[in-house]
Amino acid sequence: MLRFAPVLVIAGLLFLLAMPPLEGQSSWPTSSSYTNAMGNNSAWILPARTYSDNRYVPAAKLGAGATAKLRKAWSTSVDARGPLEVSPIVWQGTMYVTSSHNDVYALDAKTGAIKWHFHYVPHVIAFSANRGVALGDGRVYEATLDGHLIALNAATGKIVWNVLAAHDPRNTFFTMQPVPYKNMLLLGASNGDWGGIGYLSAFDAATGKRLWDWYTIPGPGQAGHNTWSGDSWKRGGAAIWSGIAIDPSTDTLYADLGNPQPDFLGTIRAGSNLYSDSMVALDISGAKPTMKWYHQFIPHDTHDWDPAMPPVLFTGQVGGSPRDLVAAGDKAGNFWVLDAGTGKLVYHLAVSMQRGQNTQPSKAGDIACPNTNGGVEFNGGSYLPETNFFYVPSTNQCGIWTSPGTAAYIAGQFYLGGAFPKQYGPSTGYMNAININTGKFAWRKKLAFPQIGGALALSTGVVFTGGVNGDFRAYDAKTGAVLWHYPTGLTIQAPASYYELDGKPYVVVGAGPAGVNFADPRFGQGAPTLEGTYSHPVRALITAFTTP
Amino acid sequence: MRTIAAVLVVVFALNATANAKSSRDDHGDAIAALAGLQSAVAEIVHIEDSYAVGRTAYRNAARRALGEVSGALDRVNHLLDQVATPPWQPAVEGTKVNLLEAQENLNDALGERELDDYRFDLTRALASLALAIGRPSQDGVLGGLSGALANTELAVPAGAVRVAGCGVPARAPAYGINAGALVYVALPRAAAAARVPANLAIRSVAVRGDEIVLYTAHAATCKLQRAHDVAAATPAMPMLYTAAQAHAGKIVYVRHCLQCHGTDLQGTAGPAVAGTDFLKTAKFDGWTLRDVRTTVFENMPFSDPGSLSAQQYADVMAFLLASSCYPAGTKPFPQSDQASFASIKLGPMSGVRATNPKNGTCAVK
Repeated sequence: MLRFAPVLVIAGLLFLLAMPPLEGQSSWPTSSSYTNAMGNNSAWILPARTYSDNRYVPAAKLGAGATAKLRKAWSTSVDARGPLEVSPIVWQGTMYVTSSHNDVYALDAKTGAIKWHFHYVPHVIAFSANRGVALGDGRVYEATLDGHLIALNAATGKIVWNVLAAHDPRNTFFTMQPVPYKNMLLLGASNGDWGGIGYLSAFDAATGKRLWDWYTIPGPGQAGHNTWSGDSWKRGGAAIWSGIAIDPSTDTLYADLGNPQPDFLGTIRAGSNLYSDSMVALDISGAKPTMKWYHQFIPHDTHDWDPAMPPVLFTGQVGGSPRDLVAAGDKAGNFWVLDAGTGKLVYHLAVSMQRGQNTQPSKAGDIACPNTNGGVEFNGGSYLPETNFFYVPSTNQCGIWTSPGTAAYIAGQFYLGGAFPKQYGPSTGYMNAININTGKFAWRKKLAFPQIGGALALSTGVVFTGGVNGDFRAYDAKTGAVLWHYPTGLTIQAPASYYELDGKPYVVVGAGPAGVNFADPRFGQGAPTLEGTYSHPVRALITAFTTP
Repeated sequence: MRTIAAVLVVVFALNATANAKSSRDDHGDAIAALAGLQSAVAEIVHIEDSYAVGRTAYRNAARRALGEVSGALDRVNHLLDQVATPPWQPAVEGTKVNLLEAQENLNDALGERELDDYRFDLTRALASLALAIGRPSQDGVLGGLSGALANTELAVPAGAVRVAGCGVPARAPAYGINAGALVYVALPRAAAAARVPANLAIRSVAVRGDEIVLYTAHAATCKLQRAHDVAAATPAMPMLYTAAQAHAGKIVYVRHCLQCHGTDLQGTAGPAVAGTDFLKTAKFDGWTLRDVRTTVFENMPFSDPGSLSAQQYADVMAFLLASSCYPAGTKPFPQSDQASFASIKLGPMSGVRATNPKNGTCAVK
């Protein structure tokens, strides 16, 4: 066991050393490139660097001292019609990023110069966001806001194929970065607040042909179906929004499934509503996935408190002994650590202010904390073996929830049984470091703004994150001291990535408009004037930093 | 022909209103005239088929036919004796001319002495009577009195239900009329299934539960009429707000909506809310005005739903409709929901000139 221990890192490095020298741009990541991504510091080829979904870089060339001297290497402007949530893919000196409306850019990773730009005009169902592309076999793969999966020629940006990947594009779209695995592209559907049922799909990476779907809500005759009253399961939600983690040694896929629907009205879906707000472990070795285990974090959620954080697989020291673990975080402000083999709870702790969590949205309204955009958000956090700490940002907000007691399905509109909560009270955040050995905070830093930028953990004891105030910061992993920061002047909702080029370390992050969910009049472009203009320019920037 | 009339009369007799019968009964006159003409034809056919050799038999037949034709002429004259110009008038005028011709042929027959002369006059009378009745074809009855009865509002018995023919068919029994033309006949299935009127110009048949709807070729005129209405455009579109209200709504939009939906309303972080993308989605997703109103009033602004006043929400609805090129009217968009909103479908409209063709939006002053 101990599949995710640093020993694998060393094995990966040895593997890399044994490989022939990297070829030119004509070679592309292969199955083994993905599996051994941990050891290749010149690339970032999976959404969170490795299949473990842990933004951790071993043998990094950026120590605390050098971090303090970081400077901007380049900054490239991309389409600014929505927030940037992209996790850049870097391969052999080229970086592939997306903007909120599905434009794709190939950039020179050293200079930021645009090599090609793919422009797309999708219909937006509710809000614009995209978390990036997958790269493989000379193609760049993107899943779009209008439910398509598109393969582009990685050298030119021209479309190779384009398939409708959503079953019902009226209520389903994609924000997730496709995950390449063996000959497949794995993709979760974003339909959890619009009256759909979540599903994870596998597509043939060569053709875009659908290989299988795995639905997140059990249908009639399946185990767990009786956790939904009546026909409520048919629009039950449980979408797969963001990342998935995979253990390639056992072909086990870990996914966090979203909230049940209608979001704020539980009376018409009596029961625990499986597998909403759950982590599932799926065996994907066969023709169709089979479930190994599930762990439901919040049975019968009525506040849209889904586990937005992608699962993170790691081998941590618990009570002095190594153990294979998987971490999760939810918007209710909980951080969860499970046994990766069984799904059994190891421990959990609250990382955001929690109040009124047993109330129900009513006509008069109930106050509960965190707000629906609070707690632990979609960029999650990371584990650093060198400290045995887990780094995860969190947000403190409260909301007033209301529900009229009825829910109507309108195709292409929210299916909520109420309205999204009105924000109430504070709007602050934390940067948390959790000691995996004890399940207690090692340190935590209070911030005056929500914090959703995830964590990039370097083996040198440096942790990067960005805040919605636009500040990109590096913390000392042991103490939480701020080593360096850079004000982008925009809003950061994207995770940071790391790569090395010509012997120099680079850290890159996207920053842009606040978007629908994280608009804060204190930061970024501010509120529009009566003429429809802003006091600050509306921009979206990919910015890379390096040492002098 | 008598069969049609009989079925329709029976069906509609059941439905005849208790209203006092008007002094005019055009349908009744036409049916009676047609019956008389058919009797005249039967007399002539009968005598010609009889191989009769006596003059008396021919003279009697001609006299009986003349009686029927004269009676029919009285009815036809009565039909044409009115101030209005009904759509069937040209057909009935033609019938009258042919009846006068037949009447003359029959009078000629009464003065003949040779058997061949009788036959000659009666054959000419028969040809005129055929034209007066009309010619059945595979596409229904064309021309003559039966054509007028099959294709125009002359088909509607006194007291029967007449409805606008281009809408959803009314409950049977009913006649759908468009511009004086018969578009459909809706019959109870029990009555129609036994004896569908064969000489109606039926182009298609629709079954609705226990009713049957017989559409004539004139159903096509409804489509043409619709196309014409759409081309003439804006007056047919709902007028749901005032121009002043749309202007007020623009200010609300900029303050509370623009950040996510953009200065051009095509969406930035949020979706498009006016113009081509919005209207196409509205059609694809089947949105009614109520659906959109509900979303705006109850779920927006996204970060603070329900935080605007009812007046502000109504104003911003006016701005959004104006931006999608819906025409302004004299009544403001109401603060409260209206029952009619559930039946107003939103979607792309023909004949609209967007001031921004790229986005399909109209500028709001």
